[in-house]
Amino acid sequence: MNDTRADVKAIFLEALDCKQAEELVCFLQRACGSDSALRSRVEELLRAHRDAGAFLGGTESQEATRDEPIAECPGTVIGPYKLLEQIGEGGFGIVFMAEQQELIHRKVALKILKAGMDTKQVTARFEAERQALALMDHPNIAKVLDAGQTGSGRPYFVMDLVKGPPITECCDEAKLPIRERLELFLSVCQAVQHAHQKGIIHRDLKPSNIMVTLHDGMPLVKVIDFGIAKALGQQLTDKTLYTGFAQMIGTPLYMSPEQALNNADVDTRSDIYSLGVLLYELLTGTTPFVKERFKEASYDEIRRIIREEEPAKPSTRHDDPVQLAAEQCSCDSWKPSSRPGRAC
Amino acid sequence: MSDVTRILSAIEQGDPQAADQLLPLVYNELRRLAAQKLAQEKPGQTLQATALVHEAYLRLVGAEREQRWESRGHFFAAAAEAMRRILINRARDKKRAKRSGDRRRVDLDRIEIALDTSDEQLIELDEALTRLAVEDAEAARLVNLRFFAGLTLKDAAAALGLALRTAERQWAYARAWLYARLRRDHAD
Repeated sequence: MNDTRADVKAIFLEALDCKQAEELVCFLQRACGSDSALRSRVEELLRAHRDAGAFLGGTESQEATRDEPIAECPGTVIGPYKLLEQIGEGGFGIVFMAEQQELIHRKVALKILKAGMDTKQVTARFEAERQALALMDHPNIAKVLDAGQTGSGRPYFVMDLVKGPPITECCDEAKLPIRERLELFLSVCQAVQHAHQKGIIHRDLKPSNIMVTLHDGMPLVKVIDFGIAKALGQQLTDKTLYTGFAQMIGTPLYMSPEQALNNADVDTRSDIYSLGVLLYELLTGTTPFVKERFKEASYDEIRRIIREEEPAKPSTRHDDPVQLAAEQCSCDSWKPSSRPGRAC
Repeated sequence: MSDVTRILSAIEQGDPQAADQLLPLVYNELRRLAAQKLAQEKPGQTLQATALVHEAYLRLVGAEREQRWESRGHFFAAAAEAMRRILINRARDKKRAKRSGDRRRVDLDRIEIALDTSDEQLIELDEALTRLAVEDAEAARLVNLRFFAGLTLKDAAAALGLALRTAERQWAYARAWLYARLRRDHAD
């Protein structure tokens, strides 16, 4: 008797390509002929294929569209944390306010990253960064307290809970004059300086990562999400743009040219660039490159704009002459070597 | 260069003995990692098997170095095999303990690893997989890499040196084969 194992496999695989029942029946008749044992074996496999569902993790297409909504919701307990309410959302996932219930009772922010991110790599990278992050101790930096995986395998980060608006919103709402804005900005610089001295680059400085909270009645800047960008590696963060295979960390509006070039040559000066953009926005109310342009531009076009175009000088956008405008422009120089070397 | 990296190079150069050296190293590292994690964290904490495999990779081979997929392929094949043995041994021990009336939970070297699959299912799967390996070794290797080392289909294809399309078809066949087998065993 012929060894029909190879035949079974070949026929099975070809049968998968049949789109309609009639097509399949015809095909099986042709392929199996009068060999009923062969035919019944192939049919057994086809039935198994149809019924297998999530067996062994499912088919490849199921894995590819792993964009299911996050299952965690208020009341869910993850490790020692109990989720209380959702306080934010972005392309990266969801942020909850949570309560730590063991050791210390306190409220924290718990950020769950969306599925589809390579959990093992993200977590492993974050572990490596965690040691360095633990060395940071600065009043203007929100600490990352913990990290782990939820029951469903998604990475999560636990951070100091920071209650307050992003810095740009805060300045606008309170109609802060230039001097006050600059003072807040200075705190941001001090925070970033501290991190740089510990060897940590933020990589994703933007208003939504710079919050202003009230402490003893005084505004206090808190920079959040240190270490997240690096842990995520090539993955997406909030509001990033990506087309096909190329992925970017950081928000294009705040991204330095070398980051836009996808250059591995990213160092502290990339943070400086982002600070420059922030300063521009604090002073003028708009970013050097206007959002609308980026929305319509393609990925390559955006990179080109960041690299090649000179933004309008702040003084042309704002009536008040600002003495720091010159320094600000040098922050946004496209060559890292032309930028101020230190945040402060 | 780490021991493992040296062994991987040797395997690539065709050294027949090198492959045998790899498995025990990887196996030990996995067990060590699991025990270490448990020592650090709260009791009852469970670990993701595939996270362990990836962490073992980072520790033994390193993250920053450019690793060719052939090297990675050998590593993950060994890791998948090691992980499979750890899990199956544990499942068998627990089954034996239950049968002999030993109520105490048996933790293999204090390794408690989270899986969606029950012990029974694991043992059955292992047996079915062993049979598949006889008929179609590559299909079985693919299942190992995906299920025990947690590789995506794309990465598993690279590890085995297959085109993605070929791997997709192998995967469809392997799943169907195993499912049919398990279903038949249950019917008997």
